Amino acid sequence: MTIAALVHVVVSGLATGSIYALVALSLVIVYNATRTLNFAQGEMLMVSTFAGFTVYAHVKLPLVVVMLIAVAAAALLGWVIERVIIRHAIGATHFDVLIITLGLSLVLRSAAGLAWTHDEFPFPSFFGTRPIVLGPVRVAPVSLGIIGASLALMLGLWALFTRTRLGRAMRAVAQNQRAARLVGISVERVYAASWILASVVGAIAGVLIAPVVFLSSQMGLVAINGFIAAVLGGFGSMPGAVVGGMLLGVIENLAPLYLPSSIKHSVPFLALIAILLIRPGGMLGRVARRKV
Amino acid sequence: MRLLALAIGAAGLLLWPWAAPRYFVFLASLIVVNAIVAIGLNLLSGYTNQLSFGHAGFLAVGAYTAAIVATRSPGVPVVVALLAAALVTAAVGLLLGVPCLRLEGLYLAMATLAFGFVVVEAILNLDGLTRGNDGLRVPAARLGPWVLATDTARYYLVLAVGAVMVWAAGNLARTRTGRALLALRESEVAAQASGIHVARYKTLAFAISALYTGVAGGLFAFVVGFLSPDAFDVFLSVDFVAMIILGGLGSVPGSVAGAAVLTVLNDSLAGFQNYRPLIFGAILIASMLFMPGGIASAVRRLRTRWAGHPPMAPGSRRGLE
Repeated sequence: MTIAALVHVVVSGLATGSIYALVALSLVIVYNATRTLNFAQGEMLMVSTFAGFTVYAHVKLPLVVVMLIAVAAAALLGWVIERVIIRHAIGATHFDVLIITLGLSLVLRSAAGLAWTHDEFPFPSFFGTRPIVLGPVRVAPVSLGIIGASLALMLGLWALFTRTRLGRAMRAVAQNQRAARLVGISVERVYAASWILASVVGAIAGVLIAPVVFLSSQMGLVAINGFIAAVLGGFGSMPGAVVGGMLLGVIENLAPLYLPSSIKHSVPFLALIAILLIRPGGMLGRVARRKV
Repeated sequence: MRLLALAIGAAGLLLWPWAAPRYFVFLASLIVVNAIVAIGLNLLSGYTNQLSFGHAGFLAVGAYTAAIVATRSPGVPVVVALLAAALVTAAVGLLLGVPCLRLEGLYLAMATLAFGFVVVEAILNLDGLTRGNDGLRVPAARLGPWVLATDTARYYLVLAVGAVMVWAAGNLARTRTGRALLALRESEVAAQASGIHVARYKTLAFAISALYTGVAGGLFAFVVGFLSPDAFDVFLSVDFVAMIILGGLGSVPGSVAGAAVLTVLNDSLAGFQNYRPLIFGAILIASMLFMPGGIASAVRRLRTRWAGHPPMAPGSRRGLE
């Protein structure tokens, strides 16, 4: 196999990986604020993308506007879910909330099927189809576009979490909720902000990936890979989520080239088990040492 | 009082095939199978506080083992097939449990999830043994001179095995192993300080949990009569987790109740087709919002209220009942 072909595979792996990374980031954002594993993240992403698509199907607006609509729908969805359901479960155990988000994912997927049927829809792409040729290397513009857009969004998130008041408040809540409350941070507001932010990040991932995989009510299943990515990197760590996502994407794309087809589907999972065995807290995570 | 309730319950279960239509006999068998898995999963989660999203994988290992044993050696007693399923699955549990000793919480959940996927892939690829995507037909269970070919016969088989498993789980807390596991749940460090070999007992919990699920898998094979890999997907594992949380973590009656409720719900909503996951999901959300801690703790609260005792302090824990 030539180096050029290898580059092509790695770049498309990084593109898939960027999507996993974004989904992983949205899982981590919610987890850090509320210690909730959001099983419905994939379905929230799918519903927001559908919202943008519906508008596009009726009025042919520019794609940027479609994305903004999807983002607005995502923000609304995240806010409503947090306000109406999650906040009422504030005293419940993590396991209870887990089942709530599981129920939510079923409800959203089924509602999407009723509203938009379970068919697959082609989603318009921002990027052309003619491959970009750089010397001997050919890459699909959609891959570069996804990678670029994801990196820009990650940079934005980094700025949000390090440079703004809200971002610092969110990090404080992630570290120690009681202490955050003591210094005057409204933990409730951070909860709401986290759900909205996670939902928005997911929606952007949805709009980016929909042209590649088709839009359907099953699109939310991408969250499983996002979940694996977050765990690979070390759950709770945002750089970890990015690294984990990229790694998973590349492994997934490279594996079929070198391994017999009988085990290629198992590769991400075997990789996951292997990495967890070497580093039980994920690549960038720390294993919490509990005091007695 | 307690004995009377037990006797009435047992009589009801034994007479069920004569009172209910044939389909409901099958459904009852399915409930018992799921209840055995739920108990097994709860032994792991309730004791070591760790969730597994891979129990559909264990169920598949048990089901295929029993089916293959029954196909390859015709006329083998069903007890032998079930024992084989139990032992093979427990061995797989041991193999998975040893490396998983280092993992906790979400990381363990993820590793078990991965295990579930790998099992399905393995079934697809070992098609010489499992017939892969075509599915595997399971011969009727045999017990000495009898062939258990009717729903009723299979129901009694499942019920008998289920009763043994429930009884064993209920008594586990009174054995040396059970007490060690309970101590582990309360505090790993304290348990270690009192001479409990943490690694050994954690692995043992994994193996016991897998053993339960393997037995359930064997029963599942005979009850359903046909196995295909897509029956054991990750959603089934998630269903099992939902059963024990809805039923109540760490409670054997809770596991049974959770399994019964979810199995019946899944089945009775089948008529609603497209609305089914919608209703199912809404019920999950509502029950966790209004019944935190699941059925077991709701019953506990009701009981203390009737007895006039002050409610138990939140967060206080009890052993497996």
